[in-house]
Amino acid sequence: MVDPASFRDPSGFVFRRDGVLYRQVQESGARDWSSFLATGLYDRLVADRLIVEHQEEPIERAALPGAVAVLRPRLIEVVSYPYEWSFSQLKEAALLTLELQSRALDAGMRLKDASSYNIQLDAGRPILIDSLSFELAAPTEPWPAYRQFCEHFLAPLALIAHRDPRCGLMLREFIDGIPLELATRLLPGRTRLNLGLSAHLHLHAGAQRRAANDPPPEPGGAKKERRISETGQRALLDSLRRTVEGLRWKPSSHWSAYASTTSYSEAATASKAEIVRAMLADVGGHSAWDVGANTGVYSTLAADAGYRVVAWDQDAASVEAHWLRVRGDGNPSILPLILDLANPSPAIGWALEERASFLERGHPDVLLALALVHHLAIGNNVPLPGVARLFARMAPRAIVEFVPKEDPMTRRLLAARRDIFEHYTIEGFREAFGGPFRILRESPVADSPRTLFLLERR
Amino acid sequence: MPFLAYIDPGSGSMLLQVLLAGALAIPFFFRRVIGDAWSKVRGNRNDTTRSDGGEDATTDR
Repeated sequence: MVDPASFRDPSGFVFRRDGVLYRQVQESGARDWSSFLATGLYDRLVADRLIVEHQEEPIERAALPGAVAVLRPRLIEVVSYPYEWSFSQLKEAALLTLELQSRALDAGMRLKDASSYNIQLDAGRPILIDSLSFELAAPTEPWPAYRQFCEHFLAPLALIAHRDPRCGLMLREFIDGIPLELATRLLPGRTRLNLGLSAHLHLHAGAQRRAANDPPPEPGGAKKERRISETGQRALLDSLRRTVEGLRWKPSSHWSAYASTTSYSEAATASKAEIVRAMLADVGGHSAWDVGANTGVYSTLAADAGYRVVAWDQDAASVEAHWLRVRGDGNPSILPLILDLANPSPAIGWALEERASFLERGHPDVLLALALVHHLAIGNNVPLPGVARLFARMAPRAIVEFVPKEDPMTRRLLAARRDIFEHYTIEGFREAFGGPFRILRESPVADSPRTLFLLERR
Repeated sequence: MPFLAYIDPGSGSMLLQVLLAGALAIPFFFRRVIGDAWSKVRGNRNDTTRSDGGEDATTDR
């Protein structure tokens, strides 16, 4: 079955057969594909871990007529999208895209698109997953993906750095990148003093506006041929790279400081860690999703126990701090991502099939939901049985913390509102989660009113 | 014959790119020439330092 997201580029497509992912190269992309291999560009990119490697498969595996090659790419464990990335993740993906274009130019080719969806975060670093992104081109041809690069990368990065980290979520609405005229309206006026942003965003938006008023070309008339020098091509790339590198964002938020400002005593913290460690050992799985992971204290604990972890949190600053720490430690087994579990990433794009929803993108062996349920149940008014049902859809086992009303953190949530949560008790929790799950273990946290549950889906 | 892209490069974006590439090429070229010359000078100097260091190391031994 042809992947529903794989329709934009006619030179090939992705399909699944018997649950295995393949990429088919079509006749129209044959020359570019053979040059990509013959110039050694593919080998060099694989050697430097800049592109996902593939295995050539027999041509009989082709899904449709017209195949010149069938590839079986190595799978990325968890697919993530740019609207789930923190600032540095998007910035690293942007710099990788520029590096790929630069290497393509060295090989007499070019990167034909600069879509952020062609990049995935794999084992702690960005990597290109679209093997058909390269085509032959004269070095004097302007880069057709310049506009796409600015819309997919430069505009959201500039908005995060100069306006607000939540601007990254705009990519969820604008699947083709943030329109430049919108970006320039939202950016502060002082960004016009930045040479790179002024040229690639502000002037760029103006050029697009003027071109929109141009009369259409004559029918059958020749397409306008524009040329640039090779030095100009490199200079443009260099300018984009410097502009991206010059963008900075320092995370600071209530949540990223949360781990250090919690009300737990040392004894409670040690007890909670001990219980989580023992429960993870009981589960004996390989993959864990830590929802409401904050800056990743328990994700690290799971990674230390041998799990590959995706650490989801709604706060961009926490995810940024977590990613920088994971990068610094060289820990490829944790992938921090931005997600609000009360409003998770939906399916988007053409026919709602281009980008999968959060729930369609993997099923870990165990779900960690620590100090989260009170935010969902009291902060978002979600009834406990609803929380239990969602968790059961996500994973066969779950480690869930119940934070009762007498806990200072829950008291804070209730401080300015009427307590309408008569079922929010430990008995209510047992009853709600006892529906979709069997309660395997219930461990009170020492020196704290909290309780941890180990659950198994019925 | 130009190589046409499958994505829409945008005619305004293409025009701007041509203008920017022209304007950026000059400082980029000089930076590269100066950079290359500078790294050559530094490279030579480092080579000298390294060989001096080598001799010192031999003396120490």
